Amino acid sequence: MKQDISGDLENTRCPEIIKILSLGKRTGRLFLTNGAETGNIFFNEGHVIHAQCGSLSGTKAIYELAVWTSGEYRFHVDEVPHGTTIDMGMEEILAETTNRIRQMDKVTTLIPSSSIVYTLEPDIRERDLQLKSFQWKALANVDAKKSIAEIAQLIGYGVSDTMRIFYTLVKLGLIKEAVQTEVHRGFQPVILPDVPFIESLKMALIKAIGPIAPVIIMEISREMGIDLLSDTMEQKASLIETLSSRIPDERMSLKFLDDMTDWLKADGDHS
Amino acid sequence: MKKSIKDLLKIPGVHGYVISQDKRVQIKLPSKHPFAGAKEQFQELYAALALTQQRPGNIVEIFLEDLTLTVFPNTDRMLTVVSSSQVNQAFVRMTGKLLIADMNKES
Repeated sequence: MKQDISGDLENTRCPEIIKILSLGKRTGRLFLTNGAETGNIFFNEGHVIHAQCGSLSGTKAIYELAVWTSGEYRFHVDEVPHGTTIDMGMEEILAETTNRIRQMDKVTTLIPSSSIVYTLEPDIRERDLQLKSFQWKALANVDAKKSIAEIAQLIGYGVSDTMRIFYTLVKLGLIKEAVQTEVHRGFQPVILPDVPFIESLKMALIKAIGPIAPVIIMEISREMGIDLLSDTMEQKASLIETLSSRIPDERMSLKFLDDMTDWLKADGDHS
Repeated sequence: MKKSIKDLLKIPGVHGYVISQDKRVQIKLPSKHPFAGAKEQFQELYAALALTQQRPGNIVEIFLEDLTLTVFPNTDRMLTVVSSSQVNQAFVRMTGKLLIADMNKES
């Protein structure tokens, strides 16, 4: 397998590479990667004859690959596809891909990433709305849990096409970015050691900041390099003090400190 | 929520405390303590830490050779805890923070 052109998509975007390979009347496979995603565009004597990107193929795949702004490309000489899915002139392909890039640049000013999670806008303005079937398809999947990329996969559209649909839906005021998406998406139940100090700490912090408390305890103890099973008074006091400083409400912060100093005092008296 | 100065004095390693307010300085330290008569120095400390610049909520720790001063400046008064350098510093800060908050509420 011979390779003769390779590079970075940040510096050279897909339409430019297509143009170069077309002018050189090349035959082979252009392989593109963008993180975990990959795609292929096949050339036969400079003509684009087939493209594939994830579950997409044909022109849909080319349009998807055209908007990638990061990743790498490699051209493998003389590799041919099993079939052809594209029968379009080079000028037409280049014009459409350039157009898609322009649209995508506009979309990314509002939706910078396909990993963003959206939720339905509860305060929708009363008015007549007309949605196209593909917009409705995307909207029906908006649930404050799934990202744009996940929805794209579900509805069988390209990520860039789905981002464009979301752009319209945001502009229409039908959806908005879900708050704390990272926390929801990355949330794993935190299991803290079952010891009296940690149990009291958890309960006092839950009173102050709510159910996120165990996650915060785990994070802060990691940051400070504190072993939650440690029995030293110094470590316990340091952890309490740092946790109290992270409670935004001053009254709650003092209440937490108060509860925990009493606990420490009682613990010191017993031992 | 009520913390008394006794809670502070019960912490192992705490020698005593100083409360500075306006021109008054109340020193509660054993009579033979090197800082027992350091009224002027505490007045200067109060002027430097609380009067020239308001630092409510801040904690200033001054580490001397064998002693530690933990200072809690507030809007109208300042609490300084004098302790040995081996004291549980986090515990002193926690208790001091609560005490100064209580004092502030009362005034």
